[in-house]
Parts: sequence; structure tokens; C-alpha cells
Amino acid sequence: MRSAAAAIAWEFRRRHRWGLLALTGYLLALAIIKFLIRKPGQPVDLNDVRFALVVVVPLAVTFTYSLAVFTFGLSGDLAARQSMYPARMFTLPVTTAALAGWPMLYGTAAMAILWLVTRLLAVWPSGFAIPVIWPALLAAALLAWTQALTWMPYGLPGLRVVVAILLLAAIDAVVILAIHYDTREAVMVAGLAPLVPLAYLAARFAVARARRGEVPDWRGIFARIRPAPDAAPGRWHRFASPAAAQSWFEWRRHGRSLPTLVAILLPLELALLFLAGPDAPNLVLATLLGGLLTPPFLATFVAATVRKSNPQLGDSHGLPPFIATRPLSSAALVGVTLTTAIRSTLVAWALVLLGIPLALVLSGTGVVVIERMNRIAGAIGSPRAIVLGLLVLSGLLASTWKQLAQSLYLGLTGREWVVKASVFLALAGLAVVGQLAVWVSEHTEVQVALWNALPFIFGGLAVGKMSAAAGIAVRLYRGRVLSDRTLVTGAAGWFVAVLALYGLLLWLASDALIPRYLLLLVAILAVPLARLSAAPLALEWNRHR
Amino acid sequence: MTEPVISITGLTRRFGPTTALASVSLSLPRGAVYGLVGANGAGKTTLIKHILGLLRADSGSVRVFGLDPVADPVAVLSRIGYLSEENDLPGWMRLDELIRYTRAFYPAWDDGYAEELREAFALDPGAKIKTLSKGQKARAGLLIALAYRPELLVLDEPSSGLDPIVRRDILGAVIRTIAGEGRTVLFSSHLLEEVEQVADHVTMISAGRILLSGPLQAIKESHRVGDRLPSLDEVFVARVGTAAASGPGG
Repeated sequence: MRSAAAAIAWEFRRRHRWGLLALTGYLLALAIIKFLIRKPGQPVDLNDVRFALVVVVPLAVTFTYSLAVFTFGLSGDLAARQSMYPARMFTLPVTTAALAGWPMLYGTAAMAILWLVTRLLAVWPSGFAIPVIWPALLAAALLAWTQALTWMPYGLPGLRVVVAILLLAAIDAVVILAIHYDTREAVMVAGLAPLVPLAYLAARFAVARARRGEVPDWRGIFARIRPAPDAAPGRWHRFASPAAAQSWFEWRRHGRSLPTLVAILLPLELALLFLAGPDAPNLVLATLLGGLLTPPFLATFVAATVRKSNPQLGDSHGLPPFIATRPLSSAALVGVTLTTAIRSTLVAWALVLLGIPLALVLSGTGVVVIERMNRIAGAIGSPRAIVLGLLVLSGLLASTWKQLAQSLYLGLTGREWVVKASVFLALAGLAVVGQLAVWVSEHTEVQVALWNALPFIFGGLAVGKMSAAAGIAVRLYRGRVLSDRTLVTGAAGWFVAVLALYGLLLWLASDALIPRYLLLLVAILAVPLARLSAAPLALEWNRHR
Repeated sequence: MTEPVISITGLTRRFGPTTALASVSLSLPRGAVYGLVGANGAGKTTLIKHILGLLRADSGSVRVFGLDPVADPVAVLSRIGYLSEENDLPGWMRLDELIRYTRAFYPAWDDGYAEELREAFALDPGAKIKTLSKGQKARAGLLIALAYRPELLVLDEPSSGLDPIVRRDILGAVIRTIAGEGRTVLFSSHLLEEVEQVADHVTMISAGRILLSGPLQAIKESHRVGDRLPSLDEVFVARVGTAAASGPGG
């Protein structure tokens, strides 16, 4: 390597070789679909669900991954005041222009190539006139500005996230408006092209400040409203127990992430109610649905990202020795994590349940919801409608908690390869299941066969789940990870939850021709057991390596 | 004879093809200062991590206070004070929060002693951990490791990269700890002069094997050259140099 440019490129290649390999695999798969299955020249139907599954979802994931790679976001702290540009690179004998410029050039080039290749392999030719240049420029501009904003030092913790969301949303909004008004490609290019050099100037300024160690500090503004530390130890409030102390730690470290994200995103979503008004009931209902799905959706994201113990450490997924050496059992540590997840869920949902009615009242769109609720009550009766509504709400609440809790068995292993492989498998599984679902929806005979086989499918899944749970329980018992009492109480709790859900389903579906055993199988599959029980084992594996 | 605080028998641990510890056996009776010395990568931290239960033995056994630290971490860790070289205290906590949090885990926590240490170390209770200097972080780590007067104090390369004043504080902590009857200190370092100042017993480790272990004075006597008693530094160079010369596994 004879130049800084080559060295920086080598680092990106070396550190992210698996991600780049996956990206190459995706592009190869697109090429195969294009040239072998669909045949060159055959138009693409952009309204086809398969298009979304094969092209849009992987493209969105690839774009997000590239953002994280080229901003150095995978190894930094997004909420910190300090620049996310790696400090180790500041001591290299390289100009600031090069430090900012090369990663930006590689990133923007990668974004543009990603669009051009996707267009060539997946989108072209379609029935629509798909533009060539401006989407590539848009992707490059979004990446370049994300780089500039993540490398900038800020005066307050968390300010980076707010500024980035606002600026990127503004760029997106302008582009959406331009598409809406059928703006010509030349105008789009003229509007987007200056954004990249401007982002470069901003990035160079940001890296220069970070390199000089200039981090503004505006926290003094809030110093008066923060509680002052106690001077005398006797006055320090005591935690009632080690678990209470750990619960405080867990809340401060991870628990606040979900409510904070919901508090940021929900107002932006609910603002659509004010734009829609009562004359656009479909948009109102879609916005409400979006608002209600926000906590479980964000919980998936939070569960996947907040478990990193310290992004600065090489083994950033591992349990830090500070926590590993707490005199607290692994089961107690997991218990605290699960109860913190409940607290996070409740706070996040309190925000949703306060925010939505407030937005409905203030925007005058409440009539749309009342009218729809009256219609449902008329169709199935008021008591059932109320129970159904509560059940949906409880289901969403439980789903939010499940998203936070169920992936713990992966995150608590502390093995980066487990976490990354599970994300890759989940995305690949999503694409395959989606394709299968579309295929099934197009073949009535397959739907009939599947409907007939449903008891066997659910039965098989339930047997698999119970076998896994039994295996995990044996390991928990033999390893003395959980006490006998905890194991029995947990099993009894799960059994009661399944029976309660089964009873509720029986009552709700009393008029439908659904066999009771099928409802029981649904209840067994719905109440979490195996993955949840695996969390203490995962932590043991992490804590005692 | 009292039960040893730490009893390690035939401990072997591999990381892939590398053997980090090869059939290590060690017994540390109560009430003394043990210096664990060795070159970088000799296996000192790996051995300490087994004592804390952070690593699981491939073969052999580790007992601390007669208990298996992997099977019973609560009983073992509640009696140990630990300060690591990395000092991974949570940067987002303020010092007063760190004290409040840590106190909850140790019933024997002594508020008066904690405050005495905080004042002696000149630590601001309102300061965030991440804003502290390396030396201040080491002092904060030392404070929370000492304030419950642990039966066993484990210091893993505590002085590494620190100025002489902080190193003096650490040595002072060792002396404070052994002032309490029946307390034990395990002190790993490659700063042999420091170990020589405070250690009663020394265990020398190289390439995952124990080269020698015994009372400091006896070790020095056994390496006497004529009338002159060698320093620990000289013993180390003589023994580790010999081990290195005999090749891997030697």
C-alpha cells in the first residue's frame, strides 16, 4: 500500500469483507433472477409484491448497512457529543481533506454503483421511465450528509441523532415533493448535484474540528436543572437490593432507548393526521396503524442494537468485566433485563396511548376513528368489539416486549458472529418466506392443501417448540443456572398464560368453525417460552467463557 | 491449617491453537500479599479471569474460598475486590452514582471508609467517570474495590501506565487491605520493583506455565550469587530468559 487512499480503502474492505461478500451475493442473485429466470428485456412489474421482496427490501437494507460502514457508525457511539470519526486516524500523516474525502468518495461511489447495478439488474426495463442519474445522486447525497453529520462534534449528547433525522428528512421531503410535481430529471440533477460537494465541505470542517479536539459543550445550560451530587455519603439514597441497583443500571443503559425513539418518531408520524384531516379516512387509519406499530417495530431495532456493551472495545458484544464481576447470578441479571424490557414497553406505550388521542382530538380526525369503531361494534357486538380492541392492544404490547426480550438469547451470547449471522439469516428468511407467501397467494390448490395441513404444521411447530424448551430446561437444571423453584414457577406461569389465551380465543371464536385444538396450538405458539428460557444459558456462555 | 483462599489444580486453558495456561497448580493461603509476575502475554490475566469465574477451565479445577467461581459466582464475587488494568467503569455514571450502585451489592460496604478513600483520592462525587483522567479512574476503581473491605483483593496490572502518585495510592491500598486480619491480596504486575515492595510471596509465570512460586525471600535466597541477594528483576530475567531460551512449551 503506497497511499493513504489505498490504505483507507483496504481498511473498509478488510473490516467489512463479510458484509461486502453478502452484498456481492445479493447482486449475483439479482443477476441470476434477471438473466436466467426473468430473461433480459422482459419488463419488470414495479407493483408486484415480489419486486418489493427481492429488490426494495434488500436494497433498503444494503443502503442502511452502507451508511453504517462508510460513516464508521458500526464502531462509534451515535449519542455521544464527540465525533464518530475514529480518533486513531487523526494521528496519521494525512491531510484532513484526505481523511474526510476518501471515505466520502468511496461511500458516494458505492451508493451510486449500488443504484446503477440495481437498476440494470432489477428495474430495467420496466413499464415506467426509471431515471438513471438523480436516484444515484440522491443516494450519494444522503450518504455524504450522513457522514458529515456523524463526524461533526456536538454540544449536547443525542443532538447528532436529532440533527441527522431533521436534515435527511428534509432532503427526502424535497425529493418526494419534486417527484409529486413531475419535476424533470435535469432539474433534479441540478438540485441534488451541489449537495455532495457541500457535504464534503461540512465533513472536512467536522473532521478538522474533531482532529483538533474541539468538542463544544452546551451541557452547562442544563446544569441548573440536573440534580446536584450529594456531598455526604450518609445522605445517598440506598437501593433496596442488588437487583434494584442492577435494574437502575439497566434502565439507564438500555431501558430508555425505546421510549426515546418512540418519543422522537411518533410526533413525526402523527403530524400526518393534521395534513390528512377528517376527509381522508384511509390516510388517517393508515397513520394510526403506523403509530400503533411503531413500538414493536422500533423494539426490533432497539433489541438488535443496544446490547453492545462498549463500541470502543474489540469484543463489543461481550459482557464487560464490570458487569460480569457483579455478585449477582446470571438468572438475576436476565431477570432484571426482562423486567426492564417490561418497563420500557410500558413507558413507550404510555407515550403512544397519550399521543394518539391527543393528536386525534387536536387534528379533528377523531370522528373517523369513532365512526370505524361504531361500525365494528355494530358487526360483532359491543362487548366483543371492546375485548377485541383490548386484545389487539395487549397483543401489540406483548409483541413489543417480545421483540425486546426474545432476541436476548442472541445478544446475551456476547458473540458478534452469532448476532451478525442471526441478522443475516433473518433477512434471508424474510425474503424466502415472502417469496413463498406470494407464491402461495397465487395458487389456490396450494392454499387448500396448506389449510388442510394447518393442524399438522402448527402441531409440528408446537412439538418443536416444546422439545426445544424441554432441552433448555434440562440444561438450566443440570447447570444449576436457575433454581428448581424458578423453573417450576416459570413453567407454571407459562402454562397459565397459555390457558388464559386459549380461553380468550375460545370465547372470541365461538361462532367460527375453528377446531378447539387449533386454538390451543395457536396459544402454545403465541406465548414465548423456548427463546426466553435460553437467555440465562446465553448469558452463562458469555459470562464464563 | 486453614483452607487456602485460592486453590488451583491442573488448570489448562486454550484459545484455539494457543495454550494460555498449561496445567497450572497454585495454592494461596489466607492473609498475605501474593505477587503474580510475568512478561506480557504470559498468562497472568487469564489466570486471574479464571479466579473471578470469567473464564471456564478446559481442564483442572479452580476453587476460591473453597467454591467454584463459575458455579457459584455470587458467593465468590461478593467476597472479592477487583481492579483491572482496563478499568471498564461505566463512563456515563457520575462518581456518586457509581458508589451508590456498587454499594448495593456488598452488605459490608462501609460508607465512612468510602468517603475517607474519596477524600484521600481527591475525587469529585459529581464528576462523570468518562471525564476522569486515567489515574483518577484507577482511583475510582480502587475506591469501589476497597470500600467493603473484601477478603480477597485482586489487582490485575493496576499500575500499568499510571504516574508514581497513583501507583503509591495503589500500593497504599494493598497495605490497607492486609492491615485487616486475614485478608489476602493477589497483585499481578510486570513492575517488579513494586511487587518486591509489598509481596510476601511471588509466583512467576511464563508462556502459561508457573516457573516458580514461593516466599519472596526464599526465592531470592535460592538465586543468591555469592554474598549478594539478587533483586526480583534479576531473578525474573534469569528465569524467564532461561524459559524463553528453552523454546515454546519449555
